[in-house]
Amino acid sequence: MGKSSSKKKKDKVILPPQLPPEVDDDDVVVSDEDVEFFRGNEGHARALATLDRKSIDSYVTRVAHHDEDEVERLYEERERRRKAVEALRPKNHDDDDFEVDRVDALPVKTLQGELVYNNAKKARFDDSSNNVESKSEDKVGNSKQTIQKGERKEKSKSKKGDGKLQNVQAQTEASNGKLQSKVLEEVKEELSAEELFEKKKAQLAEIGMSMLEDPESHIRSLNDMLNICNDKDQKVVKLGLMSLLAVFRDIIPSYRIRQLTEKELTVEVSKDVKKMRYYEYTLLRSYKAYLQKLISLEKQPNFSALAVRCMCTLLDTAPHFNFRESILASVARNLSSPDDAVRKMCCETIRSLFVDEGKHRGEATIEAVRLIADHVKLNDCQLHPDSIEVFLSLRFDDDLGKDDREEEKGKPKKNKRRQNQEVPKQLPVSDNKKAKQELISKAREEVDAELRSVSFTLDPKERRRIQKETLSALFETYFRILKHSMSISNSRGKVINVSPDGSHPLLAPCLEGLGKFSHLIDLDFMGELVACLKKLSGYTDHHSGIVHDNTLNVSERLQCCIVAFKVWRSNLEALNVDLQDFFVQLFNLILEYWPDRDRGEVLADALKTLLWEGKQQDMIRAAAFIKRLATFALSFGSAEAMAALITLKHLLQKNSKCRNMLENDSGGGSLSCLVAKYDPEAKDPYLSGGLASVLWELSLLQKHYDSSVSSMASNILSMANLNPTQNPVPISNANPLEAYRDLSMERKLSKPANKLLPLNCRKKRRGKEFVALSPAALEGSDCVAGGDELKEKLKNHFAVLRGISENERLRAELNHTLSSINLYKEYKKQKKSRKSKAVKKKVSRA
Amino acid sequence: MAKKLGKKARKFARKHLQSAAKRNRKQRSQFARRPRRGGNGRGNERDGDGDDEMPQRAIDNVMNNGDAAALVNGLEFPEDECELNSDLSDSDGYLSEDSECLYYSDSEDGNAVNDCFVQDGLDGENDKMNTEIKKQKKKLNKLMDKDPEFANYLEKWQSELKSDGSKEDSDEDEMDSVDNDADSSDENLSNDKILTRKTISEWCQLVAKEPKAPSLRSLLNAYRDACRFGVSKSPSVQRIQSTEVFHQIITFVLSEADNIFHALLEISDDVNKGKIMNLRSAKKWKTIEPLVKSYLQNSLDLLSQLTDNQILAFVLTRLRASAVLFSAYPSTSRRLLKILIRLWASGDHNLSLSSFLMIREVASLLPECLDLCLNKSYNTYLASSKLVNEGNIKHIDFLMDCLVELYSLDVQKSCERATTSIGQLNAILRQACKTKEKEDLRKVDNWQYINCVNLWVRFLCCNYKDYNMHPLLSSVVQIIRGVAHLFPGTRYLPLRLRLVQMLNELSSCSQMFFPIPSLLFDCLEFRDTSQKEQGQKAKVNFSSLLKVPKNMLKSRDFHEECILSAIDVLSAHFAQWCYHVSFPEVATIPLILLKRLHEQTTIESLRRPIKRLIDQVDENKNIVERKRDGVSFSPNDTTSVESFVQDLQAEKSSAKISQFYKIVPKKLR
Repeated sequence: MGKSSSKKKKDKVILPPQLPPEVDDDDVVVSDEDVEFFRGNEGHARALATLDRKSIDSYVTRVAHHDEDEVERLYEERERRRKAVEALRPKNHDDDDFEVDRVDALPVKTLQGELVYNNAKKARFDDSSNNVESKSEDKVGNSKQTIQKGERKEKSKSKKGDGKLQNVQAQTEASNGKLQSKVLEEVKEELSAEELFEKKKAQLAEIGMSMLEDPESHIRSLNDMLNICNDKDQKVVKLGLMSLLAVFRDIIPSYRIRQLTEKELTVEVSKDVKKMRYYEYTLLRSYKAYLQKLISLEKQPNFSALAVRCMCTLLDTAPHFNFRESILASVARNLSSPDDAVRKMCCETIRSLFVDEGKHRGEATIEAVRLIADHVKLNDCQLHPDSIEVFLSLRFDDDLGKDDREEEKGKPKKNKRRQNQEVPKQLPVSDNKKAKQELISKAREEVDAELRSVSFTLDPKERRRIQKETLSALFETYFRILKHSMSISNSRGKVINVSPDGSHPLLAPCLEGLGKFSHLIDLDFMGELVACLKKLSGYTDHHSGIVHDNTLNVSERLQCCIVAFKVWRSNLEALNVDLQDFFVQLFNLILEYWPDRDRGEVLADALKTLLWEGKQQDMIRAAAFIKRLATFALSFGSAEAMAALITLKHLLQKNSKCRNMLENDSGGGSLSCLVAKYDPEAKDPYLSGGLASVLWELSLLQKHYDSSVSSMASNILSMANLNPTQNPVPISNANPLEAYRDLSMERKLSKPANKLLPLNCRKKRRGKEFVALSPAALEGSDCVAGGDELKEKLKNHFAVLRGISENERLRAELNHTLSSINLYKEYKKQKKSRKSKAVKKKVSRA
Repeated sequence: MAKKLGKKARKFARKHLQSAAKRNRKQRSQFARRPRRGGNGRGNERDGDGDDEMPQRAIDNVMNNGDAAALVNGLEFPEDECELNSDLSDSDGYLSEDSECLYYSDSEDGNAVNDCFVQDGLDGENDKMNTEIKKQKKKLNKLMDKDPEFANYLEKWQSELKSDGSKEDSDEDEMDSVDNDADSSDENLSNDKILTRKTISEWCQLVAKEPKAPSLRSLLNAYRDACRFGVSKSPSVQRIQSTEVFHQIITFVLSEADNIFHALLEISDDVNKGKIMNLRSAKKWKTIEPLVKSYLQNSLDLLSQLTDNQILAFVLTRLRASAVLFSAYPSTSRRLLKILIRLWASGDHNLSLSSFLMIREVASLLPECLDLCLNKSYNTYLASSKLVNEGNIKHIDFLMDCLVELYSLDVQKSCERATTSIGQLNAILRQACKTKEKEDLRKVDNWQYINCVNLWVRFLCCNYKDYNMHPLLSSVVQIIRGVAHLFPGTRYLPLRLRLVQMLNELSSCSQMFFPIPSLLFDCLEFRDTSQKEQGQKAKVNFSSLLKVPKNMLKSRDFHEECILSAIDVLSAHFAQWCYHVSFPEVATIPLILLKRLHEQTTIESLRRPIKRLIDQVDENKNIVERKRDGVSFSPNDTTSVESFVQDLQAEKSSAKISQFYKIVPKKLR
């Protein structure tokens, strides 16, 4: 790096010495693109190599005003001495250490012309020399400048190809700088850490403000800020990161910065364009360095939250900009961070990415989905549920074809806008010089081609392709999770005592997502999916499996049923899938349900999806469900009971024949079929004999403490007196899920407290009889204690009291006597003093 | 005259015995605390648990201060602390005596002085002090002998000291200072005669023969002195020198006073307040009133001084007979109530009981005192139910019952209180549910809250049948279910079982159906208990727990207790509906759980009770089903359903069913 820096000093004509921040190491700076660029443009490289080395060297020597060798020798000697001294003395400032990048050590001159950085003396040195140079070179002319500027970029990247000579020069200069900085270092030591902090803060603020005011002319200050971020003080680093974030948020352009092609580089461009190019280039470099810094800091526990926050904000504000991939990668990784705050932040960002696709044309979406998919794959589905839950915010167009025309309408407009931005940049000279006119027409073609890659609108084909890919990545993830849960539940069936929760944390959001996107599932997958769900929902031939071997909990199994039905229904029920098994599952799961352990909402949802929304049911099956739901309502809280009763009522309405269950004909239900006797514990609705039973439960439910339940029970019972075609007056239109939510404890407790009205009781005073105390408890109330015992106790009491009073009296007397004695001393003292006074008086008199 | 005299005596005491009075005040407060600590101390000893000492003292403080703010929940009712001691403060009940009342000198006087030192703990100390005084006095005398001038100096100093004291005094009551001297001379007229046993027995005989006899006054004066013995420093108290005399006075007056007053006032035993009020205008009231007042007030003094539970109970029992007399003196009754409520909350059962009976008596006689009584006793109940351990469960239960009794005296009034209290409970629960913060949850998950809920549940149970309390019931049920919902999980099983018991109680009183089984699922779950048996056999007792300590969660004991308690509660639930048409359905889901548990459990001792319950429920189910098959009415026929229950109950074959459910819990233990 040193080489490039030294060399650049000579090349810079208009611009003061300013370099892209090459913070970390060479790899950072020489990106693959750069290398590729060089490979493609060997000519430039060669031109670089053949640069007039002598003239350059002469500049340097002129600066030093010395014979070259002499200078070198002198510097080396000094260096050695300094090193020796430093070895003895403990290092004070890492910043100014030897390991410091040469680039970092470079001078920085602020607007006021003050030298800010520690090793700034050298900078002033160089600056002055540069200024001299620039004057002389100014005469060379514009055209040369432009070429030089074009080359400058390459040169800066080409240190590897440079000669040794420059290397030596760089060293001398660096050592020179070191010497200067050594003095400064000592001065700096005197400043307290606090002052330093304040100083740096002020500096940051200053730079930040100037950056925001006029980013174009201050773009180089980004380097200063980045340098501050390397500070030892964590607080300073954090401040630096934050201010950089603010700056970047503000100055990042609304387009993606593109690498210049060879052709473009060869073309002579105006000063403005050059400036623009330099600006973009510097911005990109700094941005990259900043991101690298963030990514490296993200692993440090102290900084991780901050770094993630910075990245999330950047991703949120500039998803279109360069290096999105790397930000996205680390954000996606942090989706399952153990830190709640970090995770939440990432989820929010990803969600907004999914929702607001206009900013990035959906490319970020597919990237994010793929990243998450990979992540799930890598971690074997053991992630936090949140990382999958973000998928629920994805949006897909149901019919992409419709949108085509709209897209096309919008496209030209946007193109125009983009052109307006591009044209002055590309060809500013053309406005002035007619000679360049041809170049414009040539360039326009290129611009058009580029536009496609830069513009925000996608043609519908592209859009559809992206969505398809997203969808397939999404379902791939979902299916992977399903498969994973299946394999686990199979293998773990044998392992006893594994807690069922937490083993497949992703299953619940996965099922939810499947339910949501069920209409987008390819029909080809359908069969497999349903089979999968069937297996997961715990369906076994109910002779073989004991239900408990299934490690999915009730809520998850219910969700499986719900998803299966949703999938089936959203595909217009055209699918030829036998869903009978899911009914059997639900039938059994109703008995498995536990309040508090299982989510009641899921049960209510299952009732709604499978039974309430369904069309006409099989009569026998409906009867079995009716009976089971009635029994269920007897044992559970009012919310569950209500959901069950509403479903039951619905079933009775739909299957008017089942209304026979409301009546008690001789020998139970009239329509007794295969099974004559009702079996409450049956596993199969067809074998339970529900039709043979009578809904006696409802008579007890009428006595339910909750008035809504009891009125619902009465309402259902009233159906018995109606014709099969008639329905009773509906008392609520809610579906089971709504009813459940209405009556759930949370809802009840969050409702404003209804003011309890003071009761109006009949005025009635009770007699003397006791209401709460049993007579046994009242026994022995009349304490007629035995005379002797009582006498003894009273005597004791008296004695104690007497003792106490006696004690008191004595103590008072004692105190009195003692104080009298003490008084004697005082008396004596007084007497003495009186005497002495008297003596004195006497003496004086005498 | 009597009033005036008493006033003067008090002033005298205040002026001349300043330090003593101060000390007395201190002492009195000590006494006031003593009985309670004694009661609690007993409980502690039983537990052998020293840790409880601190909270107990905290409760003491709360109770003594009557400081409602110190209680955790803010559940208690506000009390107005202004004490209306108007009719109390201006007299201490001294009665003027007739001079014809004779004092007898007693020959045994000499040893009477001695006999009181027999069991006195302070005796030794007093002796030591005596000798010390003698020594110091000698020293002083020597000094005085040596320097006669010092004697003068000392005298001067002493007189200064006195005048200083009186100056301070005169700040307090300048107005009275004029007749100061007259007081003291008056006071000493007749009272310095020592009361002898003979005198007392003579008086007693006279009074017993003829209640109107003038010696009654003397006797009541003696009673007054006896009651104030050790507290007041007035010389009249010094008249009592022997324990014998003390005992004689107190027992006689306590046991006879009521009869005497009834005879004097010519009223029958079952008078009510109105009659007493009528009496107040009668002529004889004027003559007798001072006597009655003196008796009542001095009895209160005695109550606040006594420390022994048995004597207290005795005094209370005797005093209850004359409860009606208190109705003439509202502020005295207030003071009485305060003392009574303090005693009621104390640990001793007998004392609690007798003070409760007295409270109830007073409260029912004096409706204007009912408010105070309800407030104060409710707050006291809350304060003493803060901590529940095995020692005081019964006591708290008893207190709760007593409170329900008191609240049932005037249901109309109590309902208002219940409404506000339940509103408070509800608000706390909502807050906790909203924030889910530890602090707020703690406000629900504590004994005070639960005991408060339990109180209202019991109150409802006692009064639901006679009054229309449905709104109250539903809000209580909502609180119960809310608490159960707020604390899921195995750790809170004891709390949950308690709540379910409450629901059962409510269910049986209101004849409504409560779906209880769903709350018990956690109990009936099979859990793998840790095989390594804990060294210490810590017996789990759910009745004194709300939350199971973590180290017990996996223990076998806990598991057993869970299941047995669940069986208890379930049997109570089944017992209520065992004759109902739909009993088979009620039992279906619990039965499935029980059967599963029976299959899975590894604990042999649990198998039997579970199996028995299953069998019983099965049998019950069969009986109901058989009977059900024979009937022809439909579920919507309410009257037939009701008659079905009655029919089944009447049947011989099924009568034993409910019996079984009652036996189950007993047999398990």
